[in-house]
Amino acid sequence: MLASAGVLIAAAIALLPGAHGAETALQAIRMTGMGPILSLDAPEWNRAKPVTVQMLPQMVATPRHPNPAVKELMVRAAHNGHWLAFLIEWKDATRNERIVADEFGDQVAVQFPVRFKPDAMPSPMMGHPGGRVNILQWRAAFQRDIEKGEPQVRDLYPNAVVDLYPDQVLRATDARPYTGALGVDNPISRPKESAVLDQMAEGFGSMTVKPDQRADGRGEWKGGKWRVVITTPLWVEAPGSPHFMPGGNSIVAFAVWDGGKQEVGSRKAWSGWLPLRFAR
Amino acid sequence: MPKVYNWQIGREMEYPYEGVRPQKQFAMIMDTNKCIACQTCTIACKTTWTPGRGQEAMFWNNVETKPYGFYPMGWDVKILEKLGVQEVGDKVYKGKTLFEAAPEGERVLGYLPDDLDYAHPNIGEDDCTGLMTQGAFLQMPHMQWMYYLPRICNHCTYAACLGACPRQSIYKRPEDGIVLLDQQRCRGYRECVRGCPYKKVYFNPITRVSEKCIGCYPAVENNRQTQCTTTCIGKIRLNGFITTPDKAREDNPMDYLIHIAKIAKPLYPQFGLEPNVYYIPPIQVPPAYLIQMFGWGTEQAIKTYRQASEDKRLLGALLLFGATPDIIHHFKVEGRYTIGYDEAGAELVRVPLREPIHIRVVYDDKHQTYRSNMT
Repeated sequence: MLASAGVLIAAAIALLPGAHGAETALQAIRMTGMGPILSLDAPEWNRAKPVTVQMLPQMVATPRHPNPAVKELMVRAAHNGHWLAFLIEWKDATRNERIVADEFGDQVAVQFPVRFKPDAMPSPMMGHPGGRVNILQWRAAFQRDIEKGEPQVRDLYPNAVVDLYPDQVLRATDARPYTGALGVDNPISRPKESAVLDQMAEGFGSMTVKPDQRADGRGEWKGGKWRVVITTPLWVEAPGSPHFMPGGNSIVAFAVWDGGKQEVGSRKAWSGWLPLRFAR
Repeated sequence: MPKVYNWQIGREMEYPYEGVRPQKQFAMIMDTNKCIACQTCTIACKTTWTPGRGQEAMFWNNVETKPYGFYPMGWDVKILEKLGVQEVGDKVYKGKTLFEAAPEGERVLGYLPDDLDYAHPNIGEDDCTGLMTQGAFLQMPHMQWMYYLPRICNHCTYAACLGACPRQSIYKRPEDGIVLLDQQRCRGYRECVRGCPYKKVYFNPITRVSEKCIGCYPAVENNRQTQCTTTCIGKIRLNGFITTPDKAREDNPMDYLIHIAKIAKPLYPQFGLEPNVYYIPPIQVPPAYLIQMFGWGTEQAIKTYRQASEDKRLLGALLLFGATPDIIHHFKVEGRYTIGYDEAGAELVRVPLREPIHIRVVYDDKHQTYRSNMT
């Protein structure tokens, strides 16, 4: 019931023309190279025209978030014929990558319709039943895990004293029940190969991590500003993966969380759809 | 928000989901008068369920000293303060529940504890309300007091953790009403940690998702009472199934103690969650504090409890605490015994209402020795 009300309101918002800079198209320039585009400083980014994306408070699904921390993103897009990438920049006074009970991580997400039809767009708010979206979410905490290793309790609490863990005295199979979400391979918990989660959704609360994880990304926080690149293949035959091609069109939307302001889940800033055009 | 009926506050109230009661409802009664805060329950739970990485400061079961003990720090006074002064103590609650007091855009009135609030699980242990002055002597209720409050997840009928989760990662099992958090589905938003007023959902910083008491469901599925119940050396707990007051069965010890004798009371019923752990209030504590904590009927509950020795049926129900590891579905008092039965009616346990008294002579002729009268 909550979800269906949300979809109705979201669908109404999606139809508002130009409500959130939707008239400004994002042009994905053609870059050289073949593989994932992970460079934050490639000179070719200078050719890509930055678009300022106005970020809106998430006021549809509860819990709502009337005053999000991040008001705008600056976004560039590029592709190399095989991979698509976005360079996303925003102001954030604090770098948040430590995750404990009252601390949250910085995050940013890019969203596409899985199948783009100009006359039947999914809700920009995580899609709707039947209108599936692909969401690529970069997390500062995941990047920290990759760079410095997954935090152990002593990393989070340097003075922690622990006698013994089950995995130190039991066989792996017997110790598994004591590993909680890790033991059931929760994608939030499991060891990371990428700082980006490749996901699909059909409305609020339906976010699902795809079995097929190819997207990647990298971020850098410097002087009160995040610069994050998120990259994904143009065309993959996998459930929940969009099909892009040079010269083609689609739409794209963004969401951003400031962990330092306890933003997480639906407590976020989001954008409406922007046209996305691929150079040949 | 849909309207649901909460019998503990005697009225309908708002809840994010339609009210569907489970076929059976897991419940527990704890006799605060018998608890000595030995923490055997805490350690039994800890070694059974939470010895893993990221669970170092996580106690699904804890025992705190009231009024100055809290785990996490200040959990109840903080949410009481947020809710504001409400009129409690009537059968029909006139104040606002946490769902009704939710700020605009939120599902429930709550707060996220600080990480360090979990750092002192035994803070305030044995702290009394104050010192006794020279020459003072204790009266009932005591002028200076404390008592022990053992706590687990309340497996609420209208769980705030469940209502607060935007992903429906928390569910209430239809077969026994145990509230579980899906370890595969949770994404660690901590809306449940924020929403649960009892602060019985915990965040695991290693797995980065939340975890909570599972009501020892593997035991309950096999008709066994929970670890915290069966290991309790003071026999303060009884774990079973409760029905709603209109369907109360007199031969179900849980129904009998909660609905008929009315000596066991829910924890902060004014929050509106219809919690399913019930407490026999401590008899020495001033009523004003107890009414705030356990709601209407607390004074009568204490009065009835203090006369339990004169009421064979009530005594019979109370003597089933800690008498068997199995879940007692039916009981009856027959002659000198109280007898507990399983769901099918097979006898589980037989407890004498009065232990036989053996008087030993001071001088033992056989061994030619004096005996002191110690047991």
